[in-house]
Amino acid sequence: MSMTATRTLCFTLAAIASGAATLSVGCGSATGSSASAPTAATKVDASRYTLAEEPEGAMGVIDARDSVEDGASLVLVGRVGGAANPWVDGRAAFTLLDPSMSVVANGEDSGSSELCLDDCCAVDRQKCTTLVKVVDATGKIVPVDSRELFGLKVSDMVVVKGTAQKDRSGNFVMLASGVYIRN
Amino acid sequence: MLGQRLLPWDYGVRNLFRRPSRSALTLGGLTIVVLLVLVVVGFIRGLEQSLAATGNPNVVLVYALSSGADIENSSIPGRTPALLSASVDGVRRRHGVEYVSPELYLGTRVATAGMSEPGMGLVRGVTTAAPLVRGQVQLAEGAWPQRGEVMVGRLAHSKLSAAKEDLAVGGKVTFDGQSWTISGVFKAAGSAFESEIWAPLEELQTVLKRQDLSMVAVSMESVDGVADVDLFCRERIDLELKAVAESSYYASMQKHYKPVRMLGWVVVALVAGSGIFAGLNTMYGAVVGRIRELATLQALGFRRRAILLTLVQEATLLACAAAILACVAGIWLVDGTAVRFTMGAFMLSVDSVGIAVACGVAALLGVVGALPPAVKAMRLPVVEAIKSI
Repeated sequence: MSMTATRTLCFTLAAIASGAATLSVGCGSATGSSASAPTAATKVDASRYTLAEEPEGAMGVIDARDSVEDGASLVLVGRVGGAANPWVDGRAAFTLLDPSMSVVANGEDSGSSELCLDDCCAVDRQKCTTLVKVVDATGKIVPVDSRELFGLKVSDMVVVKGTAQKDRSGNFVMLASGVYIRN
Repeated sequence: MLGQRLLPWDYGVRNLFRRPSRSALTLGGLTIVVLLVLVVVGFIRGLEQSLAATGNPNVVLVYALSSGADIENSSIPGRTPALLSASVDGVRRRHGVEYVSPELYLGTRVATAGMSEPGMGLVRGVTTAAPLVRGQVQLAEGAWPQRGEVMVGRLAHSKLSAAKEDLAVGGKVTFDGQSWTISGVFKAAGSAFESEIWAPLEELQTVLKRQDLSMVAVSMESVDGVADVDLFCRERIDLELKAVAESSYYASMQKHYKPVRMLGWVVVALVAGSGIFAGLNTMYGAVVGRIRELATLQALGFRRRAILLTLVQEATLLACAAAILACVAGIWLVDGTAVRFTMGAFMLSVDSVGIAVACGVAALLGVVGALPPAVKAMRLPVVEAIKSI
C-alpha cells in the first residue's frame, strides 16, 4: 500500500472516530438534560397521600363489597394484585385483592381462597377485587402512576383510607385519600 | 517503485470482460443470492410494517374482558359507545362529531363470482365514524358503502385467495347468506385493514341477527387519555370490558410473530452463508485459472498485497453489480407482492432497510468470497506458479 493510501486510511479512521465521539458527547448531554427535567411524580407531593400510621378498623374487599354503602367512609386492606395488570398507566390507581385470597398460577387447581388470573376465575376475581383510585381534595384522580408515586409493587399489603363509591349495577370503587403500605 | 504501487483500477475492470461467460455466471449466481436475501428481508419488513401501521397510540380498543386478545370472539353491549362518550373525558371531537367507532368484526366464509369455493375473509361492520378513528384509511376507488354494499381493502383478494378482478368496484361478494355489491376499494397505509371487507354496521347486525358489538375504537385527544378509558373499564366491571391502546394491541401481535421474524433473519443468514460458499467456489475456479497471470504480475514487481486487492476489487465489483440488479429486480418484481397470513394479508416491502441488508450481504460476498482463494494463490512460489498450467 502506498504512503498516500495509508495516510488516507488513517484520516478516514480518525474522522470516523471523531464523529462517533461527537455523537456520544451529544447523546450524553441530551441524557443529562432529560435526567434533570422534573417528572410527573416530582410535581406531585407523595406525602400528601401517604399515611404515616396505619388507620384502624380496616376491612377486606369482600366484606366491603357486601356491607358498605355508597359514599361511606371506609378503611380497606388488601394486596395489590388480582389482575394480570393491576396498574393503570400514568394514574394513581391499582387493583386491590382481598387479603384472605391468594393468586395461583394459571391452570393450577385453586382452593376456595385461591384464584388464578385466567378467564376461568374472572367472576371470582370480580367478587374479591376492587379498583382503588387515589384522588385529590377536589375528587380528581392523581395523574401519576402509583408505582412511581408510592413505590408500590405487586403483592404489597396496603391499607387505604377514603370513601366507597358504589352503584346499582354492583360496581364498587375505593376513592382513596391516603395510602399506608404495611410492608 | 513498482512494488509500492497498486495495480491500476482498469486492470481489474478489464479482467471481468476478458472472461465474459464466467463473469456472467458469477454475476447471475450472486444476483440470485442477493435477491433471495431481499425477498426474505422484504417479508420480515412487510409483516413488521403491516402491524406497526395498524396501531395508533391515541386510539383505544375497548372489547370484551373474556375474549383474551381475540377480538373476533368479543361481544360487548351495543350501548358501550354511548356510555364511553358520556363517561370519559378527552375523547376527540371535531365539529360536534365524536371519534368513537362501534365495530362488529368477524371471520367468515366469503365467496366471489370467480371462486369455486368460498375463502376465509375478515368482515368489519362500521359506521361513518370508522375513517375518523382509522385515519390511515383512504378510499382509493368508488364510494362509501350504502345499503347492500361493501367496500373492500386493496389486499382483500389476497386474503380470500381470489383474483383481484373479482373484488373490483361493481363486483359481488357473498357472505352469511347475503350478496353484497362492492361500492369501493380502500387502502390503509399498508396496515392490516387492507385485507378486510367493510360493511355498514346496522345492516351487518341485521343480517347476522346480532345487536351486540365486537369492539369500540375510540380516538383520544392525547396518548394520556388512554388511561382514562382503561379506568372506565376497570370501574364498570358490570360491562366486562377491557381497554387496550391500539399500538399496544398490535405490538403484542408483533411479539406473537417474533418467532416468524427470527426465523426470517436466520434464513437471511443461511442464504448469505450459502452464497458466500458459492462465491468462494466460483472465485476458487476463477483464481486457479489465473495462477500464471498472477505470478507474472509478481515477477513484474507488483506486491502480493496489491494483487490480492485487485482480486477483491474484481469480486466486489461483480457483487455490487449483482446487488444493483437484485435491487432493481426486487423493486420491480417483489415490492408490493401480497402475502396472506392469519391476520389478513400484507405486502412484501423492499425498503431502505432491505436494500441496505442486500447491499451489505453483496459486499460481504465480494470481499469474503474472494479473499481465501486469492490468499491461496498468492502462497505459491513465483517460479512454480509461472510453470503451472
